[in-house]
Amino acid sequence: MEHVIEVNHLRKSFGSHEVLKDVHFTADKGEVTCIIGASGSGKSTLLRCINLLEIPDGGEVLFHGENIQSGKFSLPQYHARVGMVFQQFNLFNNLTVLKNCMLGQMKVLGRSAQESEQNAMRFLEKVGMAQYIHAKPKQLSGGQKQRVAIARALAMDPEVLLFDEPTSALDPEMVGEVLSVMQDLARTGLTMLVVTHEMGFAREVAHDVVFMDDGVITERGAPEQVLLHPQTPRLKEFLAKVL
Amino acid sequence: MPTTFFGWVGYLLDQYGSLFLRGTGTTLLIAIVGTILGFLLGLLVAIVRSIELDPRASGFKRALLKVAQAILGVYIEVFRGTPMIVQATVIFYGAQQVFNIRMPQMFAAIFVISINTGAYMAEIIRGGIISIDKGQTEAAHSIGLTHWQTMVSVVLPQAIRNIMPSIGNEFVINIKDSSVLNVISVTELFFQGKSAAGTYYRYFEAYFIVAVIYLCLTFTVTRILRFIERKMDGPDSYTVLGSTNDSHANFTVRKEG
Ligand SMILES: Nc1ncnc2c1ncn2[C@@H]1O[C@H](COP(=O)(O)OP(=O)(O)O)[C@@H](O)[C@H]1O
Ligand SMILES: [Mg+2]
Repeated sequence: MEHVIEVNHLRKSFGSHEVLKDVHFTADKGEVTCIIGASGSGKSTLLRCINLLEIPDGGEVLFHGENIQSGKFSLPQYHARVGMVFQQFNLFNNLTVLKNCMLGQMKVLGRSAQESEQNAMRFLEKVGMAQYIHAKPKQLSGGQKQRVAIARALAMDPEVLLFDEPTSALDPEMVGEVLSVMQDLARTGLTMLVVTHEMGFAREVAHDVVFMDDGVITERGAPEQVLLHPQTPRLKEFLAKVL
Repeated sequence: MPTTFFGWVGYLLDQYGSLFLRGTGTTLLIAIVGTILGFLLGLLVAIVRSIELDPRASGFKRALLKVAQAILGVYIEVFRGTPMIVQATVIFYGAQQVFNIRMPQMFAAIFVISINTGAYMAEIIRGGIISIDKGQTEAAHSIGLTHWQTMVSVVLPQAIRNIMPSIGNEFVINIKDSSVLNVISVTELFFQGKSAAGTYYRYFEAYFIVAVIYLCLTFTVTRILRFIERKMDGPDSYTVLGSTNDSHANFTVRKEG
């Protein structure tokens, strides 16, 4: 099996605070990996290093075996291949739903306005937001915003999507609509790395679950194994709190 | 000769109406051009001052940016820290005595007011850029936009919308403060008022007219700017599209909050 993403000896500190300590990690093509762990354990920082929103202090991130910092990749092209969905949605507030999903296609992929629009519509339909193309972000609910954010990421035709707690900022009644979109995506063969506290989602959708504890990955395996038969006291403790 | 205050006001308007009118035109021209050029200058300065280099950038690039940013910092400090009337005299007479350049008054006026406004605008725009949530920039980078594309398509449109009231305020200030340019004999409104006053020694009446004209200008401009701001926000509502085979199903949703 080919590793789409491979992380070796990854380290990242903020000042004297070492947030990632020698993280190892791989993600295979078409698989969904859920990353769980307590708040502050470094989950977001791991995703942000993979997406180069943070520059790692040490170690390497390989994309199809190539170091993403080697200079072989242009950063925009890498970003187009590896998308990100944020906890706070981060839709472009000055643009309509449709324009949010077209901007990257036109500026980064060089697609025409017409092609970008068609493609954007395809994904907006997929997430059930095609009716709202003329709305501005502030006119939408949290769940609607997150579905648009997913469509925006998909419109770039990425190979990998990183999700950083995509449902944590949502009102409880909107969590389901976003998770169901993600569940559909998982079936399409997209490679997904999902930081989440939704254990139900992890159990049903993930191929792999990774437990992150204080900057290191301490357990990894199939959902049943990690979630039902935790090995370390720290994971047992964590699961007792969230389940 | 008139005997009352309003009699003199009417007399002066009758005699010097076109003088006041030309003065008003010049004042408006200086204020508009000065605000626009000042805005563009401020935009450039603010963008350079808000560049954050990739940690992988070379030492040379880093040093160059540091020097440029320091120079721009000094520019802002100097032009915000001295009165425009002093800037006008120093630049106008300095160019004359040191470089032997006699600037046309109108050119000098627009030059001075533009770089003065630029210094204020730079700080206003930088504040606007900083106030935009970092998440906007990160989302733009995460789909592959460059720093420049992110600025142009995402950050600046929002920043400029947010600081529109301050930009309008600079324009209103420029309408009023361009009056100090009379020291270099620019024939703006105040200067013309001074000329009209001198002939009959009717200072109070002449400057009263000047004051009323300034007030009309700033009052009108303030209203127009507010109207533009509301326009910039776009429609309050949007249309939810119905199913494709039933376009009558469209309905409209009001904006929340
Ligand atoms: N930009 C930053 N500057 C300083 N500290 C940070 C920064 N980002 C994250 N941290 C710190 O790193 C630790 C891990 O953060 P994060 O990766 O967000 O954890 P998680 O997503 O697992 O909750 C936290 O203690 C957080 O305060
Ligand atoms: Mg986090």
